[in-house]
Amino acid sequence: MNDTIHIQIDRADGSLQRLIGLVERRGFHIDGMSLSDEGQTRRVQIKVRGRDAGRCMENLGRQIDKLVGATRVSRPVAAFTGDYRTEVAA
Amino acid sequence: MTVATAFKDAPATAPQSGARLLVSTLERLGVEVVFGYPGGAIMPVYDALTGSSLKHILVRHEQGAAFAADAWARATGKVGVCMATSGPGATNLITGIANAMMDSVPMVCITGNVSTAVMGTDAFQEIDILGVTLPIVKHSWIVRNPADVPAVIEEAFHVARSGRPGPVLVDLPKDVQVGMTADPYGFSIPNTTAELDWAAIAEAEALIRQAARPLLYVGGGVKIAGATEALRDLAGRTGIPVVSTLNALGSVRTDAHGYLGMLGMHGTRAANEAVQESDLLIVLGARFDDRATGKLNEFAPFARVVHFDVDPAEVGKLRATHVPVIGDLKAGIEALNPGPLAIQPWAERCTRNAATNAYRYDAPGEGVYAPALLNELSLQAGDSFVAACDVGQHQMWVAQHCAFTRPEAHLTSGGLGAMGYGLPAGMGAKLARPDAHVVTVSGDGSFMMNIQELATLRRYGIALKIVLLDNSSLGLVRQWQELFFEQNYSEVDLSDNPDFVVVAQAFGIEAFRVDARDQVSDGIARLLDARGPCLMHVLIDPKENVWPLVPPGKNNAEMMHGDSRFEGDM
Repeated sequence: MNDTIHIQIDRADGSLQRLIGLVERRGFHIDGMSLSDEGQTRRVQIKVRGRDAGRCMENLGRQIDKLVGATRVSRPVAAFTGDYRTEVAA
Repeated sequence: MTVATAFKDAPATAPQSGARLLVSTLERLGVEVVFGYPGGAIMPVYDALTGSSLKHILVRHEQGAAFAADAWARATGKVGVCMATSGPGATNLITGIANAMMDSVPMVCITGNVSTAVMGTDAFQEIDILGVTLPIVKHSWIVRNPADVPAVIEEAFHVARSGRPGPVLVDLPKDVQVGMTADPYGFSIPNTTAELDWAAIAEAEALIRQAARPLLYVGGGVKIAGATEALRDLAGRTGIPVVSTLNALGSVRTDAHGYLGMLGMHGTRAANEAVQESDLLIVLGARFDDRATGKLNEFAPFARVVHFDVDPAEVGKLRATHVPVIGDLKAGIEALNPGPLAIQPWAERCTRNAATNAYRYDAPGEGVYAPALLNELSLQAGDSFVAACDVGQHQMWVAQHCAFTRPEAHLTSGGLGAMGYGLPAGMGAKLARPDAHVVTVSGDGSFMMNIQELATLRRYGIALKIVLLDNSSLGLVRQWQELFFEQNYSEVDLSDNPDFVVVAQAFGIEAFRVDARDQVSDGIARLLDARGPCLMHVLIDPKENVWPLVPPGKNNAEMMHGDSRFEGDM
């Protein structure tokens, strides 16, 4: 299943590579991508898919949140609810 | 995003070079020691270092600089700094940067690079070090304007030490080092004080009150957050038993009542059994590493999880969390007060199990028994003991058998498991804590990986003590080949090692050999009393293994106890 993540990133050395590298390193395929210029920043839209069932989209989002100079501007479909308890397996 | 402000009150200054600005910014930030190695693309910085208050330690390989800076940071809690030239200098830092990343160590790495005009042309000693290191840094910058130097360096220090710490890299092209500017500006540290999540704390307290078998699972984050005293107070107030990860050893004194030892692959039976029986894990700054959990889906099968961490991405990453408490660990632990608990039968059972399964040091024979030697070493050295470990069997023996009274006393390459860490790490730690008994514990495999740093010890008279446990083999690999590869010993024999005593003496380092049990006590005393750097070369039985052991892929209840000398007793 695909999810689309929207991210605003600084126009800084390596910022795009850093983002894409993180997504792939954390176990996700990139199935589609678009990039638009917003002056000092860039808006990136990435369509991602976990390599296996063990890949958690929510965790990928939190890893992206840790990047310096990157901001998630919309949450993936498996929405971040602000309530971590939703992750507890039944 | 960089929040940059001009130096408001700064008088108009004469133009300065980027290299000079780098040095003055490091001085202003209170940096005391820089570990590095010069080369073509960073020569303007080395030129500017002359006359600086910074103490530069010239290592003999850049990997040594990165490991020493890492250990300096671990020993002091401050940011470590290392420096190298472009190309091979920068690539030689990589293992050290990865090491700091895996163990969340604040470190600023500064590399020279070719001039911006020739970047991307395969110029001499040009490597895209920013690209190469992307997966192993918390963040990185290429400085493209001399005026940016102070702001980038200040932001680099801020990023390295804030939140979950980690290494950062600043790449300085040569034209930026020599370029002049009269308009440098600084970085304003963003104000990000977060409110404590009182609702989560209350939920955590409720779960703790309901639990019959709660357990504190302590990770390296406690030490990083400066929460050691808060943890000890919590354990004392509640009586909840404690298990520790490799990186957290010493957070609770290893002789404290209720401390059950390290969990995981080479953990204690008491710690692993407590985890498997627990109905509530209170995880403090730990990350469910596979060496700690064993088979993940059989780890702590009855336990609910309360997870305190500064990094939201660690919560729920590998194990579902019932109550997350995100934020500063010290504040979170200090706030946690579940009130009186009725867990005495559980706590007593845990401590009884720890006593029943305590390590024994009375192995028969005349040869040196490494676990006993390491235990005695830590006891002779006392409260000022600092162990800088290499990686292998000796590393696990240090973790199992040394007494630690502080978490800063145990420096080990935990996440990366990098052989070669011990000697440069000991060097960095001894420079940071000159009055402490800093001892590098190494093996004959690991020691050869950064043996060149003996020259650095000699040059600066760094009184590091070295215990070199020599089994003439890659012991931990040999142990796994014995146990899991049908004794097919492949490429683990190092019986043609050089004479390490002679090698050390050739570097100008005092060295002596211990090859029998009755020489151990005097040997340790001689080592600790030596005024300068000193190496004790210890011959141990090549067949000695690390016990107990959870085989890879098994759950932590399936521990192997292979030592027939203690059969029936352990």
